[in-house]
Parts: sequence; C-alpha cells; structure tokens
Amino acid sequence: MEKAPAAPHPEYDLLRPIEDPGKSFYYIVAVLLVIILYTGYVYIRQLYYGLGVTGMAQPVTWGFYIINFVFFIGISHAGTLISAILRLSKAEWRRPITRMAEVITAIVLAIGGLHPIIDLGRPDRMSHLFFNGRLQSPLLWDITSITAYFTASTIYLYIPMIPDIAILRDRGVRPRWLYEFLSWGWQGTEQQHKVLDRAMNILMVVVIPIAISVHTIISYIFAMTVQPGWHSTIFGPYFVVGAIFSGIAAILVLMIVFRKVFHLERYLKLIHFNYLSVLLLIMSLLWFYFTFSEYLTGFYGHEPNEMRVFWYKFSGDFAPYFWTMVACNFLLPLILLSNRRTRTIPGILVASISVIIGMWLERLIIVVPSLANPRLPYPTGIYIPSHTEWVLFLGGVSVFILGYMLFARFFPVISIWEIQEGRQESAKAVTERITSYMPDPQPPLAKG
Amino acid sequence: MNKKLIDRMQILSISLIWMLFIGIAVWILNLIKESLRLHDSPDASLGISLVAIPVFFTLASVLTYVFIGLRKGRKKDMES
Repeated sequence: MEKAPAAPHPEYDLLRPIEDPGKSFYYIVAVLLVIILYTGYVYIRQLYYGLGVTGMAQPVTWGFYIINFVFFIGISHAGTLISAILRLSKAEWRRPITRMAEVITAIVLAIGGLHPIIDLGRPDRMSHLFFNGRLQSPLLWDITSITAYFTASTIYLYIPMIPDIAILRDRGVRPRWLYEFLSWGWQGTEQQHKVLDRAMNILMVVVIPIAISVHTIISYIFAMTVQPGWHSTIFGPYFVVGAIFSGIAAILVLMIVFRKVFHLERYLKLIHFNYLSVLLLIMSLLWFYFTFSEYLTGFYGHEPNEMRVFWYKFSGDFAPYFWTMVACNFLLPLILLSNRRTRTIPGILVASISVIIGMWLERLIIVVPSLANPRLPYPTGIYIPSHTEWVLFLGGVSVFILGYMLFARFFPVISIWEIQEGRQESAKAVTERITSYMPDPQPPLAKG
Repeated sequence: MNKKLIDRMQILSISLIWMLFIGIAVWILNLIKESLRLHDSPDASLGISLVAIPVFFTLASVLTYVFIGLRKGRKKDMES
C-alpha cells in the first residue's frame, strides 16, 4: 500500500481514496474478482455447449443479454449527456457531480456493448460484420454509434481530468509513470487552460447528439421490425427518455454511496440531491407520458396481434412485472420526490433504486412479450432465464462496481480543479452573467 | 521512468488513436464498396458514412489538438 505524501492538500478528502484506500477496498475487490472469474467460467461453458444452456428458445430468441444490453446502454446516458447539458447551460452546481456521472458512462458502455457478443452462440461470427456487414442494418448503425459514443465519452471524461492527474503527479502518487504519461506536461499555464477550454467546448457540442443517437438507434433495432409492440414511431424518444431517467437514478445512488463511504458531505450537499431528484421526478412524469402514449395508440388501433401483446402485459403472464414497473418508475418516485418531507437522502435513495429496478423491468417488458407473441402462428412462447443468464447479469454488475472502484482508486471522482476554479471564479462569473441578461433599469422620466 | 520514454509513449498513443479511427473509416468505406458491388442500397450506406466518418475524425482531431496544445503551452524552462 502506498504511503500518503506528507504535504496536506486543501481537498484532501478527495485524494483520500487514492492515497489511503483502506483494507476494505482490497476485500471488496477480491470478492468481485471471484464473482467475475466465476462469470468467466460460466461464459466459457456457454461457448462450449452453445446457447442451449440459456433460457432462450423459439420464439423467444432474445432474453437477458439483450435486456441487459439495452439497460446498461441506457444507464450510460447518465454521464456524458447530463454532464454535457449541465456544462453547456453553465449550471454551477454541476461541479462536484459531472465526473462521477461521466465515469458511469465509460464503464457501463463497455459492459453493455459486450452483451450482443455474449448473446451470440458463435461470437467468432462477429468477423462477418467487418467483412460482409450491411450498413443499411440498424445493427451496424448501433455498432458505429456505440463506438462513437464510447470514444467520445472516454475523451470527454479524460480531458477535464488532466489537471487533476497533474496534481497526483506533483504529489508523487504511484504509479508515477502513469500520472506523468496521462498529464501531458500540464502546468496550469494560461495557454494550457485555453486549449483545455476550447476542446471541452467542442466536445460538449459533439457529445450530445452522439448520446441521443445511441439510444435512438437501439430503439430502431426493435422499431424497424414489424413485431407487435415494437413497430412504433415514438420508440426513439421513448428510449432516450428512459435512458436519461435510469441514468439520473444511477448517478444519485452512486453519489449517496460515495458521500457515505468517503465522507464527502462537504462536496455533495443536499442541494445537489435536491436538484437531481427534481430532475428525476420530471423524467418520471415524462416516462409515464411516453408509456401512456405508446400503449394508448396500440390499444386504440386494436390490431389483433398488437392486442395479444397488450393483454399479455396488462393482465397476462407479464402483468406482475408490468405493474411493478409502473409502481417503480412512476408511483414510488412521484410519492417520494414530490413531497418535501420525503425528498431526503434516504427517500431519494429508495426512489432511485426503485427507478433502476423499474427501468430494468421496462426493458424486460419490451423485449420478451413481443417475441413470445409473434405474428407468425406460434403458440405463446415461454422464457425463463437460466442460471447462466443470471450469473452473467451478476457478472456485468460486478464488473461495473469493480471498474468504478478501480477508477476511484487511481483518480479523483470529484474534479478538484473544477471545485477550486468554482470557488475562485464562479461567484464573479455568475454575477456578470446575471447582470448581462437582466433587463436594464428604466431611465428616469424627464420632468415636466 | 525517464522523460524521453514517456514522450515516446505519448506520441505513440496519438498515432494509435489515429490508426484506430483511420481503421474505422477504412472499414466503413469497405462496406460502401461492398454495397456498390452488390447494388445493395449504396445510397443508405453513403448517407451513414457521411455522418459517421467526420464524427470519428473530429474526436481524433480534438485529442490531437489537446495533446499538442498542452505540450506547446508548457513554461519555457520545461522545454530546455
């Protein structure tokens, strides 16, 4: 274990997880590694025996893997998109939360992006995409947009980290070569700040449309088929709204955990939770509006195949999941977050966990019922996930936790330089901004 | 680790980023070529590539700009 450098830093609370991670860090990492190793074994078993070890069969040929793919990619909207919007709108309260959000994106995208490969019984056939792919297929749009989003998010996470990496380099934190390499000779000169600001401004603008395109395109994988329950024009925005919704919930859960574990009460204040939870409440209402519109149009058309899926969700086998989803995504957040007395940290935590569960159920409800009730004259399909699928799901979550812990072990999860910059310059900048857009005072009327 | 080696690693990392993005562009161009050869809606492929390729090159350019800009922006005494 590395020794903490002697010189105290004004933001030592933010450096503590790096300089003094504590024994519990290593215990948790060990447990996670065991789970991940077991997941690896289960996956190799699936490769050996084929997809027969999963619960997928005709007609339900997509199951947990595709549900988790959509779910994880949705969570990824937490970071870069929200962070870019907050930066672009110059919301000063963003400073302690943007990096936490951006890290979620980078890690979760990598995990989510692997799921379609896990879903392939023969992953070696991925090579067909490179040599014989058809760019007209939404699947290829997906690969392209996820790759673009992953690279853009990683760059967007990394560039504002450079000044903080230089702090670690200057404090002699190990591995020194890594911080030396990643800091690109940062010294905080005026010229370097100018370069960083310019690059951030370009990235903010580029990353928003890429983020929106990713989940829109994922929705196209469903909406561009004529499957009942999928062939919908609002699937694009519906998926984007759901993604931002689950993303905000994920940020809130992580903020609460980090605040508690690393005693970050000085940085993550109640006001941050209050603002984000109001945003979560707005997204909950928007989600309900989209869900209502989606099902109302299907119901109004009363097309027989569409109605089979509709009743399968509303009162059939999937009714318990459907109504739990409504409770988790709408009722519980509405009750907890619209009331000042329950909009506390525990209340927000319960609402956020509820939204994460609800959004996972939403992905389940989109994927399985439509496949179980196809237009073709099949009997209604049954899908029961196997041990393999549950383990791979748990493995995905473990990789996320491990990835986040490792990131927090080597880099500050709250941007130190942005906090310091905010303290020094924000008040002046905000005053100037307000003065610039407030109406000028009325000139005094001439007497007489 | 000595400074020269880190400098070389940094230059290598920029080169690798460009190689990755050029690789993606070549892949997309290859798919367009295939769609032209098979008369398989090449216009759709062209449309998508017109969006995708500039995005990747913008990202690579921003990174290169930052890396070069940060090195140039160092104090003079560091250069010597």
